[in-house]
Amino acid sequence: MTRRLVTTLALLLAVSTSSSARAESPLTELSVFPPDVSLVTSRDRQELVVQAKYENGLTRDVTAEAKLSVAQAEVAKLDDRTLSPVANGTTSLKVEFGGRTVEVPVTVDQAEADRPVSFRLDVMPVFAKTGCNMGSCHGAARGKDGFRLSLFGYDPAGDHYRLTREQATRRINRALPRESLLLTKAIGEVSHTGGERFTEDSEYYATVLRWLEAGAPDDAGELPTVLSIELYPPGAVLDGEGETQKLNVRANYSDGTNRDVTSLAYFSTSNDNSAEVTEEGVVTAGARGEAFLMARFDTHTVGSHFITLPKGLEFQWPNPSQKNYVDELVDAKLKKLRIAPSELCTDEEFLRRVYLDVVGMLPTPEEYAEFMSSDDPQKREKLVDELLERKEFVELWVMKWAELLQVRTVNNRVSYKAMLRYYEWLQERVASNTPTDQMVRELLSANGSNFKNAATNYYQAEQDTLKVSENVAQVFMGMRIQCAQCHNHPFDRWTMDDYYGFAAFFSQVGRKRGEDPRETIVYNRGSGDVKHPVGGATVEPKFLGGAVPDVKGKDRREVLANWLASPENPYFAKNLANIVWAHFMGKGIVEQVDDVRVSNPPSNPELLDELADRFVSYDYDFKKLVRDICTSRTYQLATRTNASNASDDRNFSHAMLRRVRAEVLLDAITQVTDTKDKFRGLPLGARAVQISDGNTSSYFLTTFGRAKRETVCSCEVSMEPNLSQALHLLNGSTVQGKIAQGGLVANLLKEGKTPIEVVDALYVRTLTRKPTKQERDNLAAILAEESENPQPVLDDVFWSLLNSREFLFNH
Amino acid sequence: MRFNASRRGFVQAGFLGGLGITLGDFFRMKAAQAELKHYESKEGTAKSVIFIYLPGGCAHQETWDPKPNAPLEYRGPMSSIESNVSGIRLNQNLKNTAKVVDKLAICRSMTHGEAAHERGTHNMFTGYRPSPAITFPSMGTVVSHEFGPRTAIPPYVCIPNQPNEFAGTGYLSSSYAPFSVGSDPASDNFNVRDLKLPGGVDDARFARRRRILDTVNTHFTSREKSDSLDAVGSFYDRAYEMVASKDAREAFNVSAESDAVRNRYGKTQAGARMLLARRLVEAGSRFVTMTYGGWDMHNGIQASMNRQVPAFDQGFAALIGDLSERGLLDSTLVCVASEFGRTPKINATAGRDHWPKVFSVVMAGGGVKGGQVYGSSNPTASEPEENPLTVVDWATTIYHCLGIVADKELMAPGDRPMEIVDGGEVRRELLVG
Repeated sequence: MTRRLVTTLALLLAVSTSSSARAESPLTELSVFPPDVSLVTSRDRQELVVQAKYENGLTRDVTAEAKLSVAQAEVAKLDDRTLSPVANGTTSLKVEFGGRTVEVPVTVDQAEADRPVSFRLDVMPVFAKTGCNMGSCHGAARGKDGFRLSLFGYDPAGDHYRLTREQATRRINRALPRESLLLTKAIGEVSHTGGERFTEDSEYYATVLRWLEAGAPDDAGELPTVLSIELYPPGAVLDGEGETQKLNVRANYSDGTNRDVTSLAYFSTSNDNSAEVTEEGVVTAGARGEAFLMARFDTHTVGSHFITLPKGLEFQWPNPSQKNYVDELVDAKLKKLRIAPSELCTDEEFLRRVYLDVVGMLPTPEEYAEFMSSDDPQKREKLVDELLERKEFVELWVMKWAELLQVRTVNNRVSYKAMLRYYEWLQERVASNTPTDQMVRELLSANGSNFKNAATNYYQAEQDTLKVSENVAQVFMGMRIQCAQCHNHPFDRWTMDDYYGFAAFFSQVGRKRGEDPRETIVYNRGSGDVKHPVGGATVEPKFLGGAVPDVKGKDRREVLANWLASPENPYFAKNLANIVWAHFMGKGIVEQVDDVRVSNPPSNPELLDELADRFVSYDYDFKKLVRDICTSRTYQLATRTNASNASDDRNFSHAMLRRVRAEVLLDAITQVTDTKDKFRGLPLGARAVQISDGNTSSYFLTTFGRAKRETVCSCEVSMEPNLSQALHLLNGSTVQGKIAQGGLVANLLKEGKTPIEVVDALYVRTLTRKPTKQERDNLAAILAEESENPQPVLDDVFWSLLNSREFLFNH
Repeated sequence: MRFNASRRGFVQAGFLGGLGITLGDFFRMKAAQAELKHYESKEGTAKSVIFIYLPGGCAHQETWDPKPNAPLEYRGPMSSIESNVSGIRLNQNLKNTAKVVDKLAICRSMTHGEAAHERGTHNMFTGYRPSPAITFPSMGTVVSHEFGPRTAIPPYVCIPNQPNEFAGTGYLSSSYAPFSVGSDPASDNFNVRDLKLPGGVDDARFARRRRILDTVNTHFTSREKSDSLDAVGSFYDRAYEMVASKDAREAFNVSAESDAVRNRYGKTQAGARMLLARRLVEAGSRFVTMTYGGWDMHNGIQASMNRQVPAFDQGFAALIGDLSERGLLDSTLVCVASEFGRTPKINATAGRDHWPKVFSVVMAGGGVKGGQVYGSSNPTASEPEENPLTVVDWATTIYHCLGIVADKELMAPGDRPMEIVDGGEVRRELLVG
């Protein structure tokens, strides 16, 4: 009844809102979901969804308007928009709309037979759908009001036991099934803290009742499992507030059958401001924006990408030039969203940006002069190539990797010497441009002394088996699987079986003392298992989302490493490509970069896929990937926005203003003031980027958010501004002290520069540009007040430049 | 949801054609004029809050909610003592606190459903359950947003540092971020760095620097727009004020307190932090968050408690007593909270594990009625029994004391109005009069 109401409502809306913009745009595609129908047993049903796509990119749910007819009424029949079986055979469903026709093949099998009710396949999903096994209800660790179900159903046998045996069958009544507490509570007939979960005339009630009437059996023998679920339609572009689109969910089972599980799926949206969804799966558009609609059934979660545009929006694509595939894929998304990208940044902006991003330094005055005076149309590309060959590029990425691999000293575990060896190992790999897959394989399968084969320090920085496996998933696959340690992951596909199967790869890491008391030898023990906390069974190693490999007689870590750093692992290349992308663009395609999950989809999946594919085809040479990114138009856009892209912050339609990260900022101040820093273990004059130990820091670095590498989380690097930073730049020893120590202004005056020429030189050094006329005039006026002794004023100009927002930000 | 409906109605009713504005403009205008639920924030009974946070999940059984009559495996190894309010017992370590219970509201029925540290912490700092779509501002940030600074002292301060990401600004501008003191007030050479002008720079020269800096900034800030850019600007403004104000600088100087006072609080981490919190509130801070200890006691809970609670006990009792003697307690709300409590039964390693279903928080001063236990847990401290106190109601009550109606909507990105707290009720029984 609810559904009928919704359909009527949709019809009404469709009529009342059809705008001229849509009427003008021709229909380009008619899709029917699911694209094929297979009905097995007399109980099977399949609802259909019809979607129209127009030339202007908009889509519309035309299920109610389309004409549906079944070719052979003796095989299947249509009740409104739902197909049900009549007799075995094949036929087709004809769908007509707007002059187009789509035929959907339909097969019917076992039409005579009724499907027996199954506890695990039918009843458990009701508990999930109606919220019974949520964490706040009976899914809590100790249950609720004396009755416990496993959280999201991770323990079906336990749930069956508790329902049928615990408290002497108080919960079910085999003689009078309708009197079972399970039902009377659920419909609110008997006092229930959780209130009414479903009504007596609902499908949910019927399912549970049928199971009770059958004697409340658990399932015997091998049961089909859900292999995957499909969510339809796969995407939609809705024309303004109030538009609706019905979703449909189909589950595919291991016995080859499928079922329409729309009424049993749990729906959610990533952004209910732009697209709300009801429990029946009806999406309603709201404000302009994007939303990811998700359906969960069994342990599977899948999503569909929705865009809501303002109704009748006029938009002209500016057709900007494209430098490479990056621009093509970014533009494809922007066109869909009707956002025009910003213009290219100026040469000065590009010069500063690319130096900070690629080598973590500012261009020198000489480099500035050379670049600015060159009229080579290829000069930006050439500069990128040149910078990629510099040692500072390596150093910057050694630092990034050192964060991911937690290079730091740990009391009684990783000595300073071991840490240093670990750092040197990493440095050598990055400097020699070792393919990333090879480096990761070496790291994860490392055995031996943590002095001699320093990669083994990876297993010293963290020793707990579960924690190691969580870190590996987070760093190399971008996934946080922690939740699945105690229950099936509620927002992702990972189950406890997946979690412990993955952890089992690290269950045989042996550690023993070396000769040196600071030395540890990591080796393969060849024995040791992980036990599943539910049932206590030994869990065989299983790749996350992959196969169960043969590990007999092998080093499990080696088996894992070979899979992990290969194209067989769908996450590895994507994850690394995303990390590289985020460094240069200020935001990941998946953001945060280490929070890949079904419910946090990439903003541009096609772009991420392509970057990953290229990375693989480049033999994991990430320098080539960097080149693609930095020479794209997308990287070279201005930060300034236009009317259409001002509010976009995830589709790369303009450059993002980014505060310069702690190490690079300190190095920049040191560089422009002509001074030197001294850090532990490094010669005088080394840069903060080169610090090997996560535990070596300074007030400046800590205040500006340097990562201590205590965790692998990308959130350790903080870019947030705060009051302490302002106070330190204003009054602290860094800026004040370095200006005095470097004596730059005095030297420039000594060279015979006039005060205003000194101002010019300071601007170029710090901001990579000359002062504007207005700035020059203002500063000349201040200088004129102290014409006798210009140096203190010029020192103050220098101080101001280092305190300026333009200096603090990469733009 | 009612409000969603009315917003939608408003949009449908609005005729855009002919007005010569784009839809983007329209949404911005809508945001500005606000179809928002709006309430003026006016200072309430609590002018300031001292938010004492015990990270890790403090066991309620070994602090505020002992169960002397429960079976040993629930009761745990420790004993309890009588307080100055008859019938209210506390853990044996809270000897000094037991003498100020007449000023405390001990809430023993706090409850939520998040058993992971970060999720529980999120609840207690923001008043919201974590959401995949939006990051919420902390209470300190909201207070800073609603009232702004009172004096040159930052309105929201963390001692010694911002304890976690949820104590940050969420969807509000980072200019409402807390000021982190940066070092531990218990250390001998404690001072807050960079509050004074460097040598050789007098006020006149500093004024010239600011003039030049304004010149340099104008070009960039007129061309670029971003929240984080504005935030840097506002932090510079705050820094100028602090540098110029002797009172503000002095507020951080714990050593200006007499030895008697310092000894009363205890020269411990807990004591020194609480003393600094009092000085900051006195000097005009609106929300001071301080953390102390690590309370994730999965193993050997008795020894851990014996190590950490005495310093807390001395400092906390001194703070309540001192605020009261100075006449500040009525206008200062002191809260003690943690992300969750711990499991009813002692586990195999003599500790307790995570337990959000019931735990205790404490409130005192700022309009809260002292000498009461609010709500209760059941006999095994495993479920709330009377007056379960939800996160939203607890947060709403704190905001109420401050004079903020928590039903007020603030604008989150995407022109998305969000209540400060979604659907909380003020628990009047906790309040005076």
